[in-house]
Amino acid sequence: MGDPQLFDGKPVLQFSTETNRRSFLKYAGLVGVGASLVAGGVFSAPYAAANAPAVAKGDLDILNYALTLEYLESDFYAMGVSSGFLSGRDLDLITPISDHEKAHVTALTSTIKSLGSTPVTKPKITYPSGTFASKDSFLKTASVFEELGVKAYHGQVPLIQSGDVLGAAASIAGVESRHAAIIASLIGGNPFPHHIEEHVDMATVLAAVKPLLS
Amino acid sequence: MTRSDFVKGQLSEVSAPQALSALNNRWALASAADFANDVDVLNYALTLEYLEAAFYVQGNKANLLSGTEKEYLAAIQADEEYHVTAITATIKALGGTPVSAPGVDFGGAFDSRTSYLTTSHTFENVGVGAYLGAAGFIKDKAVLQAAAGIFGVEARHAAVVGNLLGLKAEGGVYMGAFETGVAKATVLAGVAPFITQTGVTPTGGANTGGGSTARDDKTGLYAVGGAALLGAAGAAVYAAKHRAADVSE
Repeated sequence: MGDPQLFDGKPVLQFSTETNRRSFLKYAGLVGVGASLVAGGVFSAPYAAANAPAVAKGDLDILNYALTLEYLESDFYAMGVSSGFLSGRDLDLITPISDHEKAHVTALTSTIKSLGSTPVTKPKITYPSGTFASKDSFLKTASVFEELGVKAYHGQVPLIQSGDVLGAAASIAGVESRHAAIIASLIGGNPFPHHIEEHVDMATVLAAVKPLLS
Repeated sequence: MTRSDFVKGQLSEVSAPQALSALNNRWALASAADFANDVDVLNYALTLEYLEAAFYVQGNKANLLSGTEKEYLAAIQADEEYHVTAITATIKALGGTPVSAPGVDFGGAFDSRTSYLTTSHTFENVGVGAYLGAAGFIKDKAVLQAAAGIFGVEARHAAVVGNLLGLKAEGGVYMGAFETGVAKATVLAGVAPFITQTGVTPTGGANTGGGSTARDDKTGLYAVGGAALLGAAGAAVYAAKHRAADVSE
């Protein structure tokens, strides 16, 4: 994504409460914390005693960060699929994406709970007018979301402490790459923009989203 | 497993839990002997990338495609060639010795557009699964991020080629809401029919931090890039199981 701003800076994400907004924004400050936690390597982390969460606080923050992005994608595709402008092969290709994003939300939510933490709630999302006006505008927006999502996941790869959380995140990231490539091919874009997936850190993703949080 | 099975997309995969709450199963794909160190993982990846790069070089020369398809497959070839170069450089940077390119024979894969794309689709999905199955063994964070970045690109390839073939969306273009790791032994068995001559066994030189016993392996698997893997994946799996035990206690 060349432009760090989504939708020309128009608001797209509105959190249901100020607390949620703050809890999302605070992730920006956690990147450095995560970096310091990975020094020991994936499998060398000291695991807590019985009944304690098996993953570090930083990993939980990353999972919540991913959950927020998945909430956004899930809502976006649900809107698109129900909009009526998709048909034929397009609809066949987009419907599973919508299902995947829902599954990611469910899985991340249950994972965070199973680790003894509280998942962030779904943000209130407001799309700029025109987002769902046509197949073209929808797919172009989808491309922005997918490419950003791919980079967001890859940005967290070296920061995740738990090998299990890493495996989970990677298994989702690969699916997002598939989505990104298919959407690109649908809009005549480049499905293979890089030899190796690029990555952006949380702060950069937030820089793309923050102007939309008014 | 025969080459024709592979071309037909019959390569079996290790099934994975659909819920991330079953996290502890996700890495339990390899045996303790699979990967001794990052160089071992990278040589395993390098062999697969060599295989893919050679596959696309030959396939694209066969002139089976046109238009956008041709452009896509040319881009995929460039990606695989880049991966070979990047992984080779990384292994050297880590003080290891890159495995050399294997001899390959893709049989009838280039008989037609359909056979080419179908084999490609299978290769790419195996590559996706191979990277996911091995990533958990990578200890260097920079290497891990690069490997993950390659993994994502292989997933793009798999999806687009599946779409070119007009396969059903779920189960053809996409392989579910979560990617599935494939165990190293399964991957190597799958690609074995295409390898006529294994690459040269990396010899000593650098201390790769482990896997030394595999250097004496005469079975040829090591030269495929996976020899050290046969014995080295264990450390990570042990760690995973140990972790699982911690969780359940």
